Amino acid sequence: MSTDLQDFRAEIRQWLDREAPTDWRSAATHDAFVESQRAWFRKLVAAGYAVPHWPERWPGGGRTLLEQKIIYEELSRADAPRLLLPFVSTYHAYATIGECGTQEQQERYLPAILDGETWCQGFSEPNAGSDLAAIRTKAVRDGDHYVVTGQKIWSTMAQYADMCLLLVRTSNEGAKQAGMTYLLMDMDSPGVTVRPIHQIQGDEEFAEIFLDEVRVPVGQRVGAEGAGWVVAQATLASERGLTLMELSYRMRGALTRIARQLMEAGRADDRGALRDLGALKIRIDAVCALADQFLRKRMDDEEQIGDASIVKLAYARCLRAYADLGVRFAGLDGQFHAPITFGDLNSGNWMADFMNSYAWTIAGGSDEVQRNIIAERMLDMPREPKSWTAEVAA
Amino acid sequence: MSEMRQTLEDSARKVFPNWEAARDASDAWAQVAPLGWFMTGVPEKMGGLGLGDEGLAIIFAELGRALVPGSVLSQFLVIEALVAGTPFEERDDLLERAIGGEVMTASLAIGGPSSEAVMDADKASHILLRREDEVALIPQDGARLIARETWDVSRRLFDVAVVDEAHRYVVARGQKAAQLNNRLDTLLCIALAGDALGGARAALGLTLDHLKGRSQFERPLAMFQALKHRVADLKMKIDTADAFYTDRTSQSLTALEAGELKNFCCAVYRDTVEDAIQLHGGVGLTTEYAIHRFFKRAFLNCALGGDADYWNERAGRAAMAESQAKA
Repeated sequence: MSTDLQDFRAEIRQWLDREAPTDWRSAATHDAFVESQRAWFRKLVAAGYAVPHWPERWPGGGRTLLEQKIIYEELSRADAPRLLLPFVSTYHAYATIGECGTQEQQERYLPAILDGETWCQGFSEPNAGSDLAAIRTKAVRDGDHYVVTGQKIWSTMAQYADMCLLLVRTSNEGAKQAGMTYLLMDMDSPGVTVRPIHQIQGDEEFAEIFLDEVRVPVGQRVGAEGAGWVVAQATLASERGLTLMELSYRMRGALTRIARQLMEAGRADDRGALRDLGALKIRIDAVCALADQFLRKRMDDEEQIGDASIVKLAYARCLRAYADLGVRFAGLDGQFHAPITFGDLNSGNWMADFMNSYAWTIAGGSDEVQRNIIAERMLDMPREPKSWTAEVAA
Repeated sequence: MSEMRQTLEDSARKVFPNWEAARDASDAWAQVAPLGWFMTGVPEKMGGLGLGDEGLAIIFAELGRALVPGSVLSQFLVIEALVAGTPFEERDDLLERAIGGEVMTASLAIGGPSSEAVMDADKASHILLRREDEVALIPQDGARLIARETWDVSRRLFDVAVVDEAHRYVVARGQKAAQLNNRLDTLLCIALAGDALGGARAALGLTLDHLKGRSQFERPLAMFQALKHRVADLKMKIDTADAFYTDRTSQSLTALEAGELKNFCCAVYRDTVEDAIQLHGGVGLTTEYAIHRFFKRAFLNCALGGDADYWNERAGRAAMAESQAKA
């Protein structure tokens, strides 16, 4: 590694030693956690580490992928909190508006992100999850506004968001994808109701958004009417490599939690348990190598269709295995309720970790969707007949 | 690096395009030596190619892909012992003969006596004998051989009882023997990991061919989502093993690191062939289809070079120690 990069790493490490919050796990409520996230993001913005993937004209932007990797490696190493609240803003909103937005939209929205304006994503609906193109939330043109009515679900931290990346249906003609339009919606518009979803582990990371004749100015449309599907691809493609690398490294670091669990149970010499621990350790090392390789492929422009699905599936399955072993080793103790740690997938609160792991096997394209992509697009296995209803009718 | 990979893979695929091309053991052996493979890991100053473990790793995966039979892996171990051991008078001569293809063999076991799982001992001029405090090469007639028929017919294993070691060549003693043993364990594990990875890829390929070629209910089997998902999981595991293998073999490894790698890749191979037979259906249970050959080799790989329990336990103890050091 070049001296420049070593210096860069040393600089971040020193900064993190000084500035990284150490008390973030003690947030007692989701609100308190979100406050700590805002404060952490402000610090990172001021130091120039918050948006290394943005272009150079932004403060802290213009970092190479290798430098970004170093930032995330050091964040994991320092056990600093992950950036969850600003994630949709700095990746999804940035990529969408940066790539497909007008000059005016870019000037209005992008600097505001660094000032803490928070975005959420309104894509999924109760009847459009894996099949995103099936969305029904309807937008009708009324002069220089769209009037939007419908329901969105699984919007991460929507209850704290100022703005929403909203995918709506403007037409039912032709292909499902062709009738979709992409809007930027103010969350404080009349007619917007947000209801946090009470998750099985006690978190409220996701919310439902109800839209009742919400008026969105036409100037807040991204791309043309009917181009929503194409614009949405920019949103969806905005991030995956770095996050999965960071998460894999964090899981590797958190292996000590399982080791400690064994120790505390007086089973440090239990050969069966040691074998399971060893197998998991090896598997996590392998997943880390996979995440690293994926990032390298991205850097070298060698990424192939399906590679991202492989990494996500491998990480998600491994995360489940991690929590599974923790729950097993914890025995009855693991079944007593303990307050959850917000923002930590490997917290050592094993039942909570296990339940949390579904966020990675379901959200962002479920394991089943990833498997279809791998089978059909990497291995060239034939797709199923397009429409079930059409076949039954025939 | 990628150029070396390309060159080695191309030459391997030309000689062994698939398992059938390597079906006959003596034919295959006659092909391997002229390819110069045995020179791969030998330093340039000793007349080798000096490509190190990174170069060897590519060859190991090719051997697995084509199910190359015979004692190629143990030949590599003998060559490594001669290269890394203490020089002796006949060393250079023996090394040259081994590189040229004169069969010399070694055990593929770890953690047990080095006198079992010795490949093709009946064809070998010399056998590598590994003890804790001494590594030596004995002429084959100094040993009594017992053939052990294995399910995997691509490999012939022998138990070896030493009857006369007066004429042995000592390759390493004492501390140096411990080091060499470590190094040989490392190389053996890399070799088995590569063999497993190459085999798993090929077994998945055969399975895909079958699923795409066979139709039931008026559609190819490959269209059924239930089957797609199983194949996708295998692909995910194999790609993970691939990344792990590439990453680890690009660095200098301890025996434990190599053992962990071996363990992971062999488990992936085993998972692959277990499902591959099921996905082949009835024909997977016949000898008319090739998949059973991969199946048997995968299971043998798991048992050689330290089994899953052995390496998982060692990795687990290392993880415990790491956690205590952090606390």
